[in-house]
Amino acid sequence: MIADYLKRGVFAGVVAGLAYGLYMVFVGNPFSEYLHDAGHDHGHGDDHGHGHDHGHGHDHGHEHAVSETTNFVVSAGSGVLWAIFLGGLFAVALYVLEPTLPGRDGVASYVLAGAGFLSISATPWLVLPPAAPGAEQLYSINERLAIYVGLIALGILVSALAIGAYKRAATRHRGLGLVAGAVPIVAIVAVLPLATPTVVTHPDLSSDVVSVYQALAAFSQAGIWLLIAASFNWARRRSGAVRTTEMNETPLTSS
Amino acid sequence: MTANETVGDRIDLARNQLTPLQITAGLAFGAAIAFTLLFVQEPMVHDAMHNFRHAAGITCH
Repeated sequence: MIADYLKRGVFAGVVAGLAYGLYMVFVGNPFSEYLHDAGHDHGHGDDHGHGHDHGHGHDHGHEHAVSETTNFVVSAGSGVLWAIFLGGLFAVALYVLEPTLPGRDGVASYVLAGAGFLSISATPWLVLPPAAPGAEQLYSINERLAIYVGLIALGILVSALAIGAYKRAATRHRGLGLVAGAVPIVAIVAVLPLATPTVVTHPDLSSDVVSVYQALAAFSQAGIWLLIAASFNWARRRSGAVRTTEMNETPLTSS
Repeated sequence: MTANETVGDRIDLARNQLTPLQITAGLAFGAAIAFTLLFVQEPMVHDAMHNFRHAAGITCH
């Protein structure tokens, strides 16, 4: 049975991966490259005493080990691989956790996808927000990776708390359950950014551009999870493993 | 899928259906992909996945 889950999970990952690969080709790569160049140009043209020659903190001061083309191709491929990985992870997690997830068959997938987004992307971003090219980091790479791993654990804990709170309160009233489930999530979103220092700054970019870049990162990652859950459910319905009476789920756009 | 199935049942079922070697291989495969995409800092790998890691908001950089 776990093999069926994994099969559908990888299929869902491929669907999401193709969409995300296209996103990397048409948005992620060009936008990143543009900001990368903008940062450099700004550094060179700016003569106010902190030109690029003095920007030792820049990650991009060094020579690149690979060509731009390699960066484009491998980045797009990594995007595909990333979604396939998340699809597999999703499938195994769904297989194990399905009995305890709230919501009927199809809905449980979306609950798990939401928990995945919250754990792997959203919670780490509260401390380590997505960085546009040219960002200056407060911490070293090893510190950030350690923080990142810790935040994923925290994200899983918050997801578990939220789902547990929903299930307890929902036995009395469904709306009450939704409110109870939202409490841990709202709490962490409100507290964590205030309690931690700003670790990423973008000296060469306007805050609007950085906001757009971060919003795109957030929406694209959320999109991957949504597509994985939707494709997984589609594959499952198609195989007839689950005969739901509710076949009228709102279709998700595939962009 | 029975209504009163538990997480423990699912894990037992998987244990019965898979050999320890299959489980180990699956976990190792997943770990390898995650490690490569998220953590590898070797300059060639790092720069090749540069745009992806930025666009996906991965904190490698």
